[in-house]
Parts: sequence; structure tokens; C-alpha cells
Amino acid sequence: MPGEPVTLTIDDKEVTVPKGTLIIRAAEQVGIEVPRFCDHPYLAPAGACRQCYVQVEGQAKLQTSCTVPVAPGMVVRTQNTSEAARQAQVANLEFLLLNHPLDCPICDRGGECPLQDQALAFGPGESRFIDAKRVFPKPVPLSPLVGLDRERCILCARCTRFCDEISGDRFLELFARSAGERVSIAAGEDFRSPFSGNTIQICPVGALTATPYRFVARPFDLTSGDSVCQHCSAGCNVRVDVRRGEVVRVLARENPDVNDAWICDKGRFAYRHADAPGRITTPLIRDRGLEPASFGEVLPWLAERCRTGRVAFLTGGRLMDEDYYALSKLARTVIRTNDLDHRRAFHGGLAEVVAAAAVTDRERSVTYADIEHAPVILLAGLDAEQEVPILHLRIRKAAAHGAKVFVVHPRRTRLYDVAEHLPTRPGHEVFVLDRIREGVDDGSFEARAAAALRSAGAQGIVLAGERLAEHPLAADLALAIASKIGSRFCYVTRRANDRGALGAGVHPSLLPGGRRFGVAGERAEVEAVWGPIMASEDGRDAQQILQACADRSVDVLFVIGADPLRDHPDAVLARRALANVATLVVQSVELGGLEPFASVFLPAAPAVEKDGHLTDWEGRWQRIRPVRDALGISRPDWEIFAGLAAAMGSDLGFETLEELHEEMASLFVPRVMPERPNVWAGAGAPQWLDDLTLFTYPLLVDEGTLSDRADELKAALEEPAFAEMHPVDAEKRGLVDGVGVRLTTAAGDATVPLRVTDHVAAGSVFVPFNQPGLAANTLLSGRSTASVTVEAVADVESAASAVPDAALATGPPA
Amino acid sequence: MSLRFEPRLTRDWGDPSVIGLEGYVAKGGYQGLSKALAMTDADIVEVVKSSGLRGRGGAGFPAGMKWGFVPRDTGKPTYVVVNFDESEPGTCNNRELVERDPHRLLEGMAIAALAIGCETAYLYVRGEYLWQSIVLERAIAEAYATGHLGPDVQGSGKRVDAVLHRGAGAYICGEETALLNSLEGLRGQPRLRPPFPAVEGLFASPTVINNVETLMNVPDILVRGAEWFRELGTEKSPGTKMVTVSGKVERPGNFEVPLGTPFRSVLEELAGGVLDGRTLKAWTPGGSSTPMLTAEHVDVGLDYESLAEAGSMLGTAAIMVMDDTDCVVDCATRMVRFYAHESCGKCTPCREGSWWATRVLERLEEGQGLAADLPIMHDLGTNLLFRAFCALADGTASVINSSLQHFPDEYEAHVRLGGCPLKVEHLEEVLA
Repeated sequence: MPGEPVTLTIDDKEVTVPKGTLIIRAAEQVGIEVPRFCDHPYLAPAGACRQCYVQVEGQAKLQTSCTVPVAPGMVVRTQNTSEAARQAQVANLEFLLLNHPLDCPICDRGGECPLQDQALAFGPGESRFIDAKRVFPKPVPLSPLVGLDRERCILCARCTRFCDEISGDRFLELFARSAGERVSIAAGEDFRSPFSGNTIQICPVGALTATPYRFVARPFDLTSGDSVCQHCSAGCNVRVDVRRGEVVRVLARENPDVNDAWICDKGRFAYRHADAPGRITTPLIRDRGLEPASFGEVLPWLAERCRTGRVAFLTGGRLMDEDYYALSKLARTVIRTNDLDHRRAFHGGLAEVVAAAAVTDRERSVTYADIEHAPVILLAGLDAEQEVPILHLRIRKAAAHGAKVFVVHPRRTRLYDVAEHLPTRPGHEVFVLDRIREGVDDGSFEARAAAALRSAGAQGIVLAGERLAEHPLAADLALAIASKIGSRFCYVTRRANDRGALGAGVHPSLLPGGRRFGVAGERAEVEAVWGPIMASEDGRDAQQILQACADRSVDVLFVIGADPLRDHPDAVLARRALANVATLVVQSVELGGLEPFASVFLPAAPAVEKDGHLTDWEGRWQRIRPVRDALGISRPDWEIFAGLAAAMGSDLGFETLEELHEEMASLFVPRVMPERPNVWAGAGAPQWLDDLTLFTYPLLVDEGTLSDRADELKAALEEPAFAEMHPVDAEKRGLVDGVGVRLTTAAGDATVPLRVTDHVAAGSVFVPFNQPGLAANTLLSGRSTASVTVEAVADVESAASAVPDAALATGPPA
Repeated sequence: MSLRFEPRLTRDWGDPSVIGLEGYVAKGGYQGLSKALAMTDADIVEVVKSSGLRGRGGAGFPAGMKWGFVPRDTGKPTYVVVNFDESEPGTCNNRELVERDPHRLLEGMAIAALAIGCETAYLYVRGEYLWQSIVLERAIAEAYATGHLGPDVQGSGKRVDAVLHRGAGAYICGEETALLNSLEGLRGQPRLRPPFPAVEGLFASPTVINNVETLMNVPDILVRGAEWFRELGTEKSPGTKMVTVSGKVERPGNFEVPLGTPFRSVLEELAGGVLDGRTLKAWTPGGSSTPMLTAEHVDVGLDYESLAEAGSMLGTAAIMVMDDTDCVVDCATRMVRFYAHESCGKCTPCREGSWWATRVLERLEEGQGLAADLPIMHDLGTNLLFRAFCALADGTASVINSSLQHFPDEYEAHVRLGGCPLKVEHLEEVLA
């Protein structure tokens, strides 16, 4: 264990660091920079570049400070006080530059290049090398996202070590040896890792470059802002680079509490959304067509309809905490309804209430640090790599430290090489979880998981994902396991601020802080701040709201940062609802497929233009600052809500962000948690059905609007729609890998190519939710699973053209 | 000094029957193993320690001490790995030892395995040694068939399995941690130490890696005792050593000599003197990676201490002899080119420095050298020595530094004359 303090001197400065600290890190503690290339604080020591020589008294040879741990009383001399170390560093830089092309003026890295910077600071100044340099064809595309220039490469092996140690996606490797050694990838392979961009960022030269950023900007042209990624609930800290108002690059910002130094490729490369051509920056109101208008015209018009009509709200999962809070209050105190929901169709039961309540109390949450040090982690209904990629990396880190990882999921996840998987038919998770909860002792997966969790005690972690929320009992059962054993528990939602929406009460039965509307004492706590809440009963969830719209029993529907046509797991219902509701208010950055239905458009500012907080899956609040001014007259969502309240002759009670924060703070205080269940009536034995269960969830890179125009990302990682089926089921139906199949459910049908693979549980069929060629919600009726029949078709091509994708855009039915 | 002693490693070289198990046993083979089976692990280690046997692969680390470092309480298996990746230029004595007497290696290996409680021993064979692999595979099959290897060694109930693994032709894989990587199916590049192989070696388990010749000394030490072993050689370098003599001599070949034998005896008595009666100019005592010496050092004894005192190393005891018609710059170019080619690429000084040195040396030898190249060569020697990740680059530096130290005039002549002064016809061209 680190911790035992060791005192040494570096350049005559005394420093005390924990035992095991490397000299190079100890030097940083006292502000001494030793030049380095291969060293990276999140990678294992390599000692490859040999740049960080220091002199250690008593050692005949110079030592590489990136590989040698400190020792008590050690006397270290860096280039600052040792001529030998300085001379060796100069010589090593001369070696590194022998074959380097020195094409800095046309290199993307020029101006922010560690080799350039350190050559200037510590190098020999000029070259004595007069022979011909090594040449390679360049750049070699490793994928549509990453280009490799082997002439610039100094073979520090950071990229190959990242692939090996961090992502586990071992695409890059050093090939050949001696002066011909080079980074490369197997012939015919693409660098298909969702973490590939990290290798570009940690490359200490311009050898790995990002295709979307190639020749786009010089560092001194950029305005940079610190932000938090909005693509998923990982909460990754990022830096957004803007050139002349346009976002041109996103980089990971180091935060050891959250994302270490990594982000996924979606976070890094899907940034053109804010500058999409469809961006609308003024309100629109439907007269003959949708015409531009001012907020002054639109809000009173809207206020009138809200006063007289029945109103409901649907939001996405990516607004700010402040936006959700303002909406929650607007709905309850001004509109007087509980008909608001941010979810699609997932109901996390008590687990969801616990997650909402935990937002007020970080102590109760599971954190990245807990994951990193957990000896046992059980994931149920969660495909971490595809849903929350950086959580996936942290679980891998835990596994590398020796953690035992168990996964209950209908489809094999990318943790397969470090975890034990139990492929579980959708809906059958309850039986598996119940056996774990019971603590069966029959040598099964469940027995191993239960035993491991018990041995880990309070250090063990149970993570429940959205797939569990499909079943009314499953998420609560996962919570029950944790309660019984004493493990830590977290309900991991996918979207960037699902947790914030939950916490703020954008939910038909939850008020801020997980307070239940139906529990008088909890409601009273909110009313003490808000004044009376006039609604009389729990509201309707997303499915029920859409049903009510379709039945014309809702008059005004607000769709805020969401697209039910694509997101809601019942495309037919969503379309009927939008067509039938009298007034559809779309509040977003663009209209997209909602254009034919919208009565009013309210221009919201995207995250790069907003000030506020996001709550990540842990329940951690992180502040985002605007990277640029809001375009046109678009405004943060909370301001629009406050404007609407004012137009209705009311008042949300805050006009500035500070006032809003002050009010929020009074409700977001640690409070007594709802009681956790610790007994459970047995779930019984699974009923094995002969039919197949279709299940779906979104893959990381798909047709979602935030990935608009991220063409290189999609070229690298997006796959066209497909269906996966277990070999046993395929054989029974005489289906083979690669054939076209027609999937028929109660809601509709679709034709896609079939993959026969034992990566899915028997009895199930997987289709991705939103890949090109299939919007899977056209096969669903309000839940993300459905009974499905599968039959071979002669020709995929002709059938694929019948995909309802195009039908969606045609507007309301006649 | 006259070389009269009872040969040890080479004593049965005249008898081809020892290649087979029957012949080997008839000459007393596998008795060392029997003896070891009757001893405790600790006693085996103790005997080898007191014999003073030092590693014959180059570094000369005491073998018994190496065995003694292996922790036995880790809950992991322990491994013996035989380093038969003999690749140092000028070195081929392991090869002949195995070709002529393969069972002695297997016996030594099995004894080492018993000493550290190892049940699986690996033989890592240089990729190019196909015939020697076949010889060893046959010997292993014989040893299994007769119970000297396998699940029940000589009926003792102890298991020693042997696995032969052929390398893919990389010099670096003779470096023990690169060898371990290669054996595990990884890229042949050296590993960071610590952890040392004795603690975390093959498959992250305690591992002893011994050279072929080291292990072949072990059976006799068990049978005849440590004191007997010390009867030859010097106090600090006991025993005999195989030397490989090549280059400008009348009779090149592998010879066994007691450690401490002066180079003159080897050159004159065993190798028949310098070829065609010419004059000795330079020689390497332990392969091309050990600093070259000159005619001045002809009386230096071939043992670890004497050679260190003379500014070089025993290395693999591969003696390459250059005479007065050989160009030192040309020799250095060939040697450095080898190390540049064999650099594994992991670290900067070795990968780039040896490549640069080759460029400069080739230019010098071709007559394109500049005055500025000499300080560059001096700097390269300095900047390669003790700077790289492993010792490979120290070999490169040794060639550069020793050739510059002993033959500075020859380097200068290459620049001054615009070519190699020893290529006479070329010289006349230059002077014309």
C-alpha cells in the first residue's frame, strides 16, 4: 500500500512522498520538470525514451527517473544541478531528432508539441546529422479517424501501451526492430476502438493525428474552454477548442476523480452538432408556415394556451441541472401538473428513487474511486463500453488491480476478457439476480458472484443499468442484493444528465432530491421552498403522456431537447401523439424530424453556450462554463422556463443563475434515504418460452442527433443495422450467418442482415436501437423488448428500402 | 604455461556414442541427477555455491547464488529456463557442446530444476539452431523414455518436464528478460527490472535462467564435488571455460581451457598462432561486444578478473583475432552494423545511436568521412555506454570506444586519406 512517507532530496530540495513514488513524480512535487516522452502518469513505466536521466548519488550509471522509485535519503540531481544528467539529456534529444522530419510548420502538433517544446528547452540547438533520414510513406490511415506519420514517431510506445494497458483494444503494436521499428496495425485491420483518439492526445509528437482536425487550426488560433462532455453520463472533463466561433476539437482534460486522462471517441469527435446547418437561433411560430418571431410574441401566445389547456412535458436527458430544476418547478407551481418525464420507457422502481435521492448526498453514491478500488463488481443490465465508456475503462482498471467482475447481460460486453459473463435472456435477469440475492451455493455463476460480493462486504459494488429497468422487479432486485449483502449500489443511467433530471424531479412522481410526491412529509419539504404544489396525484410517464396526446386528452405538449420519433420505444404512438396534440412546443437547438408537427419552436442554447451543471452517473455535480456566446437569441432552457412563467403572470423566484443555485441548494441537502428493501419474495423459476425476445439498446456511435456530421467517427465506428441471434435459435429456424431476415413484432417489421453468434443469450434477438437502416423503435410498443418472429428473406437490399425511417419524415398521417 | 589438464566438458567429444543416452549412461551420465535426487534442494544449491561456478553466458554471476535467490513460498510454480540463444558474434561453443553431448545439458537442467523445485524446464534455442534442436528433441525423447525426465524422474516421484522452444532469430532474445518475453509469445524486448526474474520471471513466476555451458558443469560438480571443481581455474573463477577462436588464426575452433589461461597459450598452443605467421593486431576476448584488446594484452589471463583489469570482459569467451592487414575501422563498422541491425528498437540511444554510428562508420570506410565525424564517434561512444535500457548498446559502445582508444591514428588516416589506408590499391589512387 502506498502511504508510508519517504523523504529524499532532489536538486538539494527536500521532498516527502509516499513510498513507491517514481523520482520523476517526486520532482514534480517540488516544481522540478525532468524532460520525458514515454513516461505518462496513467501508464506503467517503460523506460523506453531514455530522456529523463538523473543522477542518483551512489549509483555509477545515470538513472531514468520515470522507472526508479524513491528511497529514503536518496540524493537526486536533475539536469538543473548535474552536468552529467544535462549532457545525457542533450545527447538523447540529439538521437531523437536524427530521424525526425522537423516538419513542424505543417504539423498539426506544431506549437503544442512536447518534442518541440523540450527540444527547445533541453535540446542541443542544432543538428550534427548530415546523412539521409529514414523515410516512410505517410500518413497511413489507421482508421477513418486516426492517421499515422511514422517519420515523426519517436517510438515512445505510449499509444501501444494505451491499447494494451488501458482500453484492452490491442490494435496498435510495434513492428520490426532496430531503426526500422515502427508503430503499425495488422494488415487489413482498422483501429476500431472507441478509445482510439486518446492515442492521438498522448502522442508526444505529431505522429498520430486526428483526421477531422488535420490542417484545421494552429494552437494559437484557438480559444479554449473547459467543459464536461454531454454524450453520456460519464461526466468526462473536456477542453473544447473553438476557432472563429466554430468548435474544431475536443480534448480530454485530466481529472483523476472522474475520467483520469481519457475520453471516448464519441466525446472527442462528435462535436459538430452545435454548428449543425439545422441550428435555429430564433423562436418560430406556425402561421402559414413556421415563421421567425420574437420571444415577446411567442411566450404570451404560449402562456395563453398553457393557462387554458392541459399541458405535459417530455425532455431528453442532456439539459443542465438548472434547466431541469426550473422545469420541475414550472410544471408543479405554475402549470400545476405532474405530467412530466425525462425517461423513455425505463422505470427503475425504488432503485430510481434511491438514485434520485443520492444526488443530494455524495457520500451515498458510488464513485469512480470506489470502482477503481472495489474487489468485486457486479454489473446487471449494463453494457458499460457502449453506454458509459469511461466507466468501462475504470472497471477494466479495477480488474487490472485484481477485481472480480461479473456481468449479467443479454449480450456479451467488451468486458469479456476481464469479467465473467452470464448471457441472460431479457426478462430473465430477475431469476439470476434472485439466485444471487438468495446466495445459492451450487457452483454456478450466481454462487460465485454471491460469494465474491459477500467476501467484499461494503467494498463490493452492484451496478444496475437501464436494461434492468425494463422489468418491474429487476432493478429493485439488484438493489435488494446490495442491501442484503451490504454492497454499494448504483443505478447507472445512460444519458449525460439523466441523473440530474431524476434528481430535480423531472419525473411524474418524484420531486427534487428524490422526494416522493405521494409521501406527504417529503412533499411538504419541497412545498416549504416552492409554496403549494397544486397537482393532486402522481403524473403520467412518457408512454402515458404520448398516449394522452394521441387521444387528444393533452392540449399542449412540450418536447424539450428530445425527439420522441427517434427516442421513444413506440414510434407509431409517438407519431400519432405529435400529430394529434393541438399545440406542440419544440424547445431545442434544431427541429429535425419534428418540423412537420411543431406549432412553436423555442431556440435553446447548446451546452457549449451554457453555464450550469451536469450530474454524472455517480451523482457528481460538475460545472460547465460557456465556451462561446449564445448564437442569435437562443437562450439557456431555464431562462425560457422563467420567461414562460413570467408570461403566465407568475414567477419562478429566480432571475439569475445565482438565485437559482441558492434555492436549489436549500433542497439539495443530505436527507434520510428511503428504506431499502432487504427481504424479497422469491422471483420463482423462469418460464422458458418458445418465442424469441427482441431487445435493443443504442450503441455508442449511432444516428443520434449529437453525432450529426461526425462523419469520420461514423465511418470509423458506426455499423449498419443488424440482428444477432444465438446459434441454437438460428439452427432451429434454418438460418445462417449473413442471410437477410425479416423481424416481425406486434408493432411492425424490418429486414436486416443476421449475425449468428453466441454473444447473445439463447432465446433473444438483438438489434441496435438506432443504426443506419433501422430505427428499432418501429418494432416496439412502449418497452425496449418485444416478442419477435424471424424468417429468412431472399434479398436484404430490396427489403431494407422499406425501413420506416423515411416514413417518419413524411409528416402527420392524413 | 603449458596446457595440460584433464578435460571436463569436452572429455567425451572423441566418443560419438555419448550423443545417445546409452553411451552417455555408459560413461557415467545421469549419476549427478541420481545424486541430486538423494539430496535436499538446499544441499544442491549449497554444493553449487561452494563450487564457485559462475555463469558462462557473459555476466559471470555465481550460479548457486542465483538459485538461492528463488523464493519458494509464493504459491506460484518455479521455472528453469536454459538460455541456448547463443548469438554473440564469434561464439559457437554452446552449439558444439550440445551437438556432441546433449544429455549432459539435460542432466544439468534437471538438477537445477530439483534445486529450485521446478517441474517444467524450458530450453530456449536460437532460431537458426535447427539441427541442435533436433539433437535436443531426440535426447529429450530418450530421457523421457528412460525416466530421466518426466513425471517420475528416476523413480523418485518427482516431476521434471522439458519444453523446447525455438526462437525466431533475434540477438536480443539472448538477454534474459527479452528471452522470457519471447518465450511467453510477446515481442522480444527486454523487461524493466525489478522485478528480477528470480522473483517474477516466466509467467510472472520465480525463474532461474542459466546458460548451456553453466548447466553442463553441474552434473560433474554433484558427482565429484565442489573441491574437485575448484582444482582448475583461479580462486575467483574456478573451473574450465569453453573458448571459441576465430579470425586470423591457423586453427580456429572451440577449445576448453582452465579459467585464467593466458590468451597467448590459447593463440599459440591451441589455435596454431596468427594465420600465415603474420602479426597480431587486435582481438576480442569475449565476442564482439567486449572491448577489443591489442597485442600488448597477449599475456592477459582469460578469466573474469584479469580481463576486467585489462579493460575488457570475458563475455562468451569468443576470441576474434585480427592481424596487421585488417582495418580496425572496417571491423568496427561490421560489428556496429550488427548491433544496429539487432537493436530491438525499444530505447532511443540503442536504436538511433547505433544506426547513426553505422552511417558514420560506413562513410569513413568508404572515404566519405569528415573531420567532424571523429568527435561524433567519440560522443556516440560516450552517449551509448550505460545509457540504454539493456546491455546491448553497451556492446555497441565497447566496439566504438575500444577501437577509438587503441587505434585513433587509423580513424584519422581514414579521414586524412579519404579512404581506408589498408586498401593499398585505393591508397595509391588517393595519393595520385
